[in-house]
Amino acid sequence: MNIASIIETHDANRVAVIDRDNTLTYGELRERVASIRHLLVEHGVRPDDRVAVTAGNEPMFVAAVLGALGVGARVIPMTPNDPLPEVDRKLTAVDPKIILVGEEASWMHDHASGIDAPMIDLGSVSTSVATSPEIVDRDDDDIAIMMLTSGVSGNAKAAMLSHGNLAWAQAAVCENTIDGMGADDVVFGSLPFSHIFGLNVVLFAALRMGAQVVLQRRFDLGESLELCADRGITLLAGAPPMWRRWSTADVADAFATVRLAISGAAALPIDVFEEMQQRHGITIEEGYGLTETSPIVTSSRGDAKGGSVGRPVDGVELILVEDDGTIVDRGDAGEIIVRGPGIFKGYFDDEDATNEALTADGWFWTGDVGVFDDDGRVYIVDRIKDIIIVSGFNVYPAEVENVLLGHGGVRGAVIVGNTHVDTGETVVAYISGDVDIAELEQLAASSLSRYKCPTKYHLVEELPVAPSGKKIRRELR
Amino acid sequence: MSSTLRDFTFEAAPELPGSDRVSQYGLGGLRRIVHRLWDLTIEGVGNIPADGPAILCPNHLSFCDSVFVPVSLPRRVWAIGKDEYMVGWKTKHLFPAFGMIPIDRSGGEAAQAALDTAARVLEGGHLFIIYPEGTRSRSGDLHKARTGAARLSVRCGAPIIPVGHVGTLEVQPPDRFTMKPGLPVTVRFGAPMHISDFGDPLDPRSIRPFADAVMFEIAQLSGQKYVDTYAGSSDNDDDQNDTETKAIPVPPGRARTPKMVAAPAS
Repeated sequence: MNIASIIETHDANRVAVIDRDNTLTYGELRERVASIRHLLVEHGVRPDDRVAVTAGNEPMFVAAVLGALGVGARVIPMTPNDPLPEVDRKLTAVDPKIILVGEEASWMHDHASGIDAPMIDLGSVSTSVATSPEIVDRDDDDIAIMMLTSGVSGNAKAAMLSHGNLAWAQAAVCENTIDGMGADDVVFGSLPFSHIFGLNVVLFAALRMGAQVVLQRRFDLGESLELCADRGITLLAGAPPMWRRWSTADVADAFATVRLAISGAAALPIDVFEEMQQRHGITIEEGYGLTETSPIVTSSRGDAKGGSVGRPVDGVELILVEDDGTIVDRGDAGEIIVRGPGIFKGYFDDEDATNEALTADGWFWTGDVGVFDDDGRVYIVDRIKDIIIVSGFNVYPAEVENVLLGHGGVRGAVIVGNTHVDTGETVVAYISGDVDIAELEQLAASSLSRYKCPTKYHLVEELPVAPSGKKIRRELR
Repeated sequence: MSSTLRDFTFEAAPELPGSDRVSQYGLGGLRRIVHRLWDLTIEGVGNIPADGPAILCPNHLSFCDSVFVPVSLPRRVWAIGKDEYMVGWKTKHLFPAFGMIPIDRSGGEAAQAALDTAARVLEGGHLFIIYPEGTRSRSGDLHKARTGAARLSVRCGAPIIPVGHVGTLEVQPPDRFTMKPGLPVTVRFGAPMHISDFGDPLDPRSIRPFADAVMFEIAQLSGQKYVDTYAGSSDNDDDQNDTETKAIPVPPGRARTPKMVAAPAS
């Protein structure tokens, strides 16, 4: 089984990908993918060699990833938007044999001197070849994707996901769920395909079912609304910042054809969930997952409740534990650990990082704190590494941030811990917005225990927030 | 505000566990004896509502906490106690008569039945004592709260009153059968705490912050050092077999997060 085969059986005349005014059928996509296989074999790429693909959400990204998978290579999808030092750092971590460069990453050709591996311009690849190598058969445990997860923690790591991992997660959002993605769906493809959510839950799942994927290379509100209406989008996938923009959009009927709305990548604020329901009549389904889980862990499909990421999907075990592995009391918060068919095979060339996260019996320790409600729904509390310990008491930054965001003048809030000689750590607030600090102090004092109240406030122009909506706290510590 | 021996209102509750008669006369007698034999100071009794439900959450250092806290209250009170007390022939009859609700601390349905009974007490508008640490602290430190009290508070809409006492460990150290008379004991009641001050009561993420905030207030009242581990789980606590817990192996390369220990925050 090779997940590159997901496009092989669909009717050649069905539309697979729409990019701006260009349409690519499954037949045409298969030809481009075959060309990539041909090209890679000509360049000596063999099974388990590493191939980096740096491109935006463009048709040749789709062809390049499927082509590289088809020759049995391990594929590293990379965003075209990183600055060169970041690209260097990531390439050093994965050491690819070859780099396939898409239109959106064409700037890299001007900086080739600093990069060892050969770069091939995807624009120069012929759209079809007379003969091409067959798709290489792979075992479920063979590595398919090496997904970079520098994320918000800092160090570049590549999570190794197998063909079996990815195929299971695709089935979890397609065949093995109520109202799953189907062949008649028109899927909005704006989430970056260099991220596991965009790649496996949006792109691969849609191609697996023979659905249409409408590409948007960079998120733009106006264009996204036009695409929704003109293309008849039925499955709208977004990250919280996108949902916030959509929720306040003053448009009629733009979402008339949307039947599934899913959010991922970061926690969805409840006010956005409610606004989408009230203004547009759309219930956003939130899921929880990580790169290391392919990424499906929970889903709220059919039973969405604001603030919750739903229940574990079939096949996934999820429990909450103390840091010594003791299972927490019912109703208490603890670190989320998960086991199931989507759990990755470890970090590439990083045994230490793997041993920090994976146990021999397959439990992945996520580093996220969660809690169950009485109905078995999961709620995400915070990242363990972000917890501030004041005099032995845990302070969850999200709790303090939510209180401060209750002030009308606060646009954004990020809470971090600073070391303190007496209490170990102390709470520090970074605020963007137009606000009087004395009012924030008063608000905190009236809503939080004393040990949770920030001891310092910094007013800043912009807060460090990733495009997914995740806060990059390390820049403020 | 301090309490006197006369500040006591008996509440009849024939529908609840415990004997009205034993509670009325036995507790009255006990209050007199305690006030005579020990130098008992009671502070913050004005924080106890004159009527209506409230959950009292004291620190737990000694068996005799279950004597000093109830006799310091101006109202009748119920409490959860470990079901091992139901074995001895004296305690088996006496403690439930005073309003003790035995709980099976291995958890499960039996423990749930005890919490259901506790809910009935609160829904009847009475006071209820629950030790948030779950068991006695043998180290003298204040330990991380179990969440039972916080969840009971949400379920019944009852406030939590933090209670910090000093001196009971000297009156009856661990494994000592009798209480040493003549020593000073202070019981302090803090202001009522409502979960709605700490988050949405319907959001399960509010439970742990609420439980932690209660411990913070207890630490202020008792002057204890707080440690973020459960009582009975550290090397200094030898009461380890009170509850059975399941554990998952920790990833081999993972360093345990050091739990910071510090004096009470101010």
